[in-house]
Amino acid sequence: MSVKMQQPPQMADERTLSTRSAVGTVFGLEMRQRLRGRAWYIMLAVWFVVIAAVFLLALATMGSYMDIGPMLFDLVVGFVLFFGLLVAPGLSANAVNGDRAAGTLAVLQVTLLTPGQLLAGKWLASWVGSLAFLVLSAPFIFWALALGGVPASEAFISLGMLALELGLVCAIGVGVSAIANRPLFSIVATYMLVALLSLGTLITFGLSTALVMEEAEVTTSYYSYPMPAENLDDQSPEPQPGDPECTTETFVQPVAHTERITWMLAANPFVVVADAVPYSRSAADAGQSGDFGYVENYRPPGVMEGISQQVRNFQAGPDYNVTCAESQGLARDVDDKFPIWPLGLLLQSLLAGGLLLLGYRRLRTPVRRLAQGTRIA
Amino acid sequence: MTNEFGGIVVHAAARSFGSVQAVRHIDFEAPPGEVTALIGPNGSGKTTLLLILASLLAVDSGSVRVGGIDPVADPQGVRRLVGWMPDSLGRWDSLSALEVLTTTGALYGMSPEERTARAHELLETVSLTEYTRQPARVLSRGQQQRLSLARALIHDPQVLLLDEPASGLDPGSRVDLRTLLRTLAAAGKTVVVSSHVLSELDEIADRAVFVSRGESVRSQTLDEAGNQVRRYNIQAEPMDALAAELSGHGMRFEERGDSRRVEYQVMLDSTQQAAWLLRTLVLADVAVTAFAPAGGALEETYMSLDTDRR
Repeated sequence: MSVKMQQPPQMADERTLSTRSAVGTVFGLEMRQRLRGRAWYIMLAVWFVVIAAVFLLALATMGSYMDIGPMLFDLVVGFVLFFGLLVAPGLSANAVNGDRAAGTLAVLQVTLLTPGQLLAGKWLASWVGSLAFLVLSAPFIFWALALGGVPASEAFISLGMLALELGLVCAIGVGVSAIANRPLFSIVATYMLVALLSLGTLITFGLSTALVMEEAEVTTSYYSYPMPAENLDDQSPEPQPGDPECTTETFVQPVAHTERITWMLAANPFVVVADAVPYSRSAADAGQSGDFGYVENYRPPGVMEGISQQVRNFQAGPDYNVTCAESQGLARDVDDKFPIWPLGLLLQSLLAGGLLLLGYRRLRTPVRRLAQGTRIA
Repeated sequence: MTNEFGGIVVHAAARSFGSVQAVRHIDFEAPPGEVTALIGPNGSGKTTLLLILASLLAVDSGSVRVGGIDPVADPQGVRRLVGWMPDSLGRWDSLSALEVLTTTGALYGMSPEERTARAHELLETVSLTEYTRQPARVLSRGQQQRLSLARALIHDPQVLLLDEPASGLDPGSRVDLRTLLRTLAAAGKTVVVSSHVLSELDEIADRAVFVSRGESVRSQTLDEAGNQVRRYNIQAEPMDALAAELSGHGMRFEERGDSRRVEYQVMLDSTQQAAWLLRTLVLADVAVTAFAPAGGALEETYMSLDTDRR
């Protein structure tokens, strides 16, 4: 062994590491390891098969509908979000403590890399890794789009929101992985946090409705078919229905002031995505009450649009006047409330940011306080 | 010897983890241009001290200067100067040996051309050129160690901290390591080596700091170590003549019942006394067949400290 002692072209103490180069190097390091492993490809393959199965099954069963494009599109978006929430923690929640377990974290920490750059690179790599799953579901999204009925703007906003949600979940995962010592714990903890956002918000909302119940006068309308008395004696086997009438009654009944607690749902990823997408209903499928109380040309909302309508309903608060059209299942004509998704993104960002900040503090060196039972290297 | 701008100076460093005092009180100096050995039993605080010097751990109290810089106040400044080879084999399995080095180089702010050139040069230095494009997982333990050493050297650091660099190395690689470390020291670098292989350190190190239970218990140069009281093993044909001659000079000796052959062990104050004894024995016609120090100079110190503890 001999080592050349020539002076390097750059003096050692003049070298600086730009943030771009630092984040890029960590990103490259992560991606290279991911692309050379097998696990990621297997997950992608499984994902593709499952999405394809769900899509084709839906296509086959819903084939009877005239206008299945929007339904299918909604279904794929909802499903991709659901699966994305399952995959993103797996890709992100061992980013830092996995390195700690492998003994490579200290090797990075001893270089000029700062904790912030390390976290940024790790987050970017896990986000890009999970975006690949979104890209893989694009064929189905565009297939649904090709069936017609969904404007391109709706499709692109949906895709954008999905990408954003994956990024936020990845940020949560990377933050937790920097805080927790063991990869298994941090992955489970991240799943718990995602479940808290997806289900916990629903449960909290549901339980809270009991707290906002109040008595109020509600006017309810419904269609009824008056049966003329003489018809009872009619021998004809089929009773002749008269013209349906819109009957209106007014009761005092308990109503839930959901407008006071709808914010609890904001942090739900499904609500965020559903609420952000501008669903455009053409006049043709908006539905209108027909003369005979039948709803004509009405297309029921898809999964995500349904969520969106429901949330807007909650935001509007109790319906003091249920019209006949509504009693037929048509969406209530809710005044445009302020969108709730920016609040959701804010809450999720605060959670992710807080976790990343705690993680950042755990990664600062020289370490002053070290968690029990851990080694630096 | 050690000025403010080079080498390592540690005064009264202490560091605990919860209730465990890993480092109680360590004084440590490593001047530039020399190889300093850090010697102590397992769990004596060697690795902790190296982590402190590498700016990964903060001291609870005491002062630390690496190249004149306080690692707590200016960790980046210390990191530019320091190359650290950890004792654990952390590795990026799927990266090639070249990529491991260039990635590390990039994180030290080296330009692409500079780090690629340096990486190739170092792969040659540690004899891993044939693994340049091989993933690191195919490397054997010894080869991993050499790659880890190359990684520590990538940014041509002024201070080199090596935690057990010789473990897992074959004899040929050990000789190479010794040569490399001597070359680096000759170029004015500060080299700190922790090791258990004391006989190795005899030949590499210029000085040694002994730590035990988190305290620096002894610091000596190799010259000092060579001139201390040491045990010598002597064999002769027949042993009776040797025994008679030793007794005649009033020297106490101990019979060591080694499995293959019996030998006598004596305590000698200095190399001069050893030379005198050997000459005396030969002149007295004792057929001396073996006359050697029982262990390396550092081992002698180490063992004496070890017995102190018990």
